[in-house]
Amino acid sequence: MRRIAVYGKGGIGKSTTSANITAAMTEMGLKVMQIGCDPKSDSTRLLLGGRSCPTVLETLRDRGSVDLDDVVVEGAGGCLCVECGGPRPGTGCAGRGIIAAFETLERLGAVDRYRPDVIIYDVLGDVVCGGFAMPIRNGYANDVFIVTSGEMMALYAASNIAEAVSNFSGDGYARLGGVIQNSRNVADEDALVDRACGEIGTEVVHRIARDPSVQRCEAKLTTVIGGEPDSAQAESYRELAKKLLERSEDRSGGMRGQ
Amino acid sequence: MKVIHPRPNPIVAALYTLRDMDIDVVLVHGPAGCSFMASRMLEEAGVRVITSGMRDDDLIFGGAEKLIDAIRTADERFSPKTIAVVGTCASMIIGEDMEAAVRRSGVKAKTFTVDCHGCMGDNTSGAVKAIESGCAAGIIPKDEADRQSMLMRAATDMEKKVGMAGREYLSPVRGPTKLKVARTIAKALKDGKKVAFAMIAKKELAYRFADMFLALNEAQKALGGELFTVGNLDPDKGLPRIRRYADDILSELKEKDAYPDRIVGGLDEYAVIGEDVRKEIDAFGPDLLILAGIPHAYPGYSPDDVLITDQPRQLANYLSMGCGLAVGEISSHSMVMGARSIIPLETGNTLREVLEEFE
Repeated sequence: MRRIAVYGKGGIGKSTTSANITAAMTEMGLKVMQIGCDPKSDSTRLLLGGRSCPTVLETLRDRGSVDLDDVVVEGAGGCLCVECGGPRPGTGCAGRGIIAAFETLERLGAVDRYRPDVIIYDVLGDVVCGGFAMPIRNGYANDVFIVTSGEMMALYAASNIAEAVSNFSGDGYARLGGVIQNSRNVADEDALVDRACGEIGTEVVHRIARDPSVQRCEAKLTTVIGGEPDSAQAESYRELAKKLLERSEDRSGGMRGQ
Repeated sequence: MKVIHPRPNPIVAALYTLRDMDIDVVLVHGPAGCSFMASRMLEEAGVRVITSGMRDDDLIFGGAEKLIDAIRTADERFSPKTIAVVGTCASMIIGEDMEAAVRRSGVKAKTFTVDCHGCMGDNTSGAVKAIESGCAAGIIPKDEADRQSMLMRAATDMEKKVGMAGREYLSPVRGPTKLKVARTIAKALKDGKKVAFAMIAKKELAYRFADMFLALNEAQKALGGELFTVGNLDPDKGLPRIRRYADDILSELKEKDAYPDRIVGGLDEYAVIGEDVRKEIDAFGPDLLILAGIPHAYPGYSPDDVLITDQPRQLANYLSMGCGLAVGEISSHSMVMGARSIIPLETGNTLREVLEEFE
């Protein structure tokens, strides 16, 4: 099983990219589970066509227990959607929430039950604290990819995430698989991202062009793979999905790789 | 310096300080077991200590609702005049807005928050937070708050300089029995020597250490010798509750004809009165000196002195320095919680027992 975490600055297009990767891999016949690690709980929106996905944490809070069937929802093409959930902005601790949600999924045996080929973790923003580093610790994710544009703040966040991954690498946790460029049409964007990758010590895995098909499909609450499957943009996401499969490790084990 | 033995906790220091300020209900906003041992002892002493009982869900989503509910429950159940909401590590890490919860609770009781947690460093930092918060809430006057903060800082400095806060690790010991100490005291009196006793006690612990005034008095009457006693029992120093302790003890000592020869400082001044106590003792010029409470608060105590402490780790410290007449009155604190009269010391009782050997 492949365990892939997608990190990046808030608003950079992680969820859209993750959903398209999940859709593309699903199309290849793989069983993919996408786990949204953001209290906004909107990671899997495009895979569910606007249907709601009860979150692990809210279900646990309101009912005191969780049944896997309640929180693992089937999305487009048979992919599996999970949202960790979390507090309202400005209250509680979302980082603790991520840890608790993972512990819950593990305790309930989510991997044994659904036997996914790939888990995609879509993780909020920068690595702001221990909780948000959880996917790259303790074997949950084995390969980390960072989504960035050529904008300075996105590259800055990418650098911070790369630093967190390398701080953990000594303990045998995840490794940095590379950078996914989600282009924003910044001047000299490719060169800027390449230079940042050189400083970080990684490389660009794939460049996604800025294309109106993405917005059009989002408005229809679907991925580009689902909404405009014959477009060049859909083909680009398929290519990205293939590269991620090539560059990630197929490890045995349950939620945590062995 | 690195210190690895368990040490007192700022949250617990805040709880005790709120007790000293006579706060009716102390509400710990944290996990149900946070500060449990101290809370239970305070409860037994008549202070209402309750918990909001945070769970994992509250860490994730915030514990404001649970806190508001606990404040309202406390208000209805106990009809207190004052409630203090005390922070913990858990509430601190999630950045809980305890002030907002207090406002939203809308209770009748005067309610204020103490923004403390376990990672503040010295335990006295929690006590200082409680004092500052109590002062801001109008519970204690500014001059008393300043005085209390100064005393806390002095206590912290003292423990670092001469107490167990300056040692990397001390294993707790219960120490020898009190027989040798009791016989040493009895023999000195029997031989007509000059025996001095100084109690430098921390607050409520005086209810136990003051037994030494009684026991020594009995011994001196039975055996002779010369006895001179000093205690930090000034009833006009400190918060009302602390003055009450001094009043209780002095009336009992007076009634039993064992009133101290000198009173130096109040029960909260243990960290700042060592020099003054020493002056009184030096003027008397004893052959044998007995120090009880916080013996290391007395500057220049020597290995020949009798040292009576309630702290097992402090006792280890004294014994390791070659103080062969150091004894421990272990678990004294749980005995004095809620006390209003003097509680016999093992050292005192042993002295009473050995008297007949010398008569």
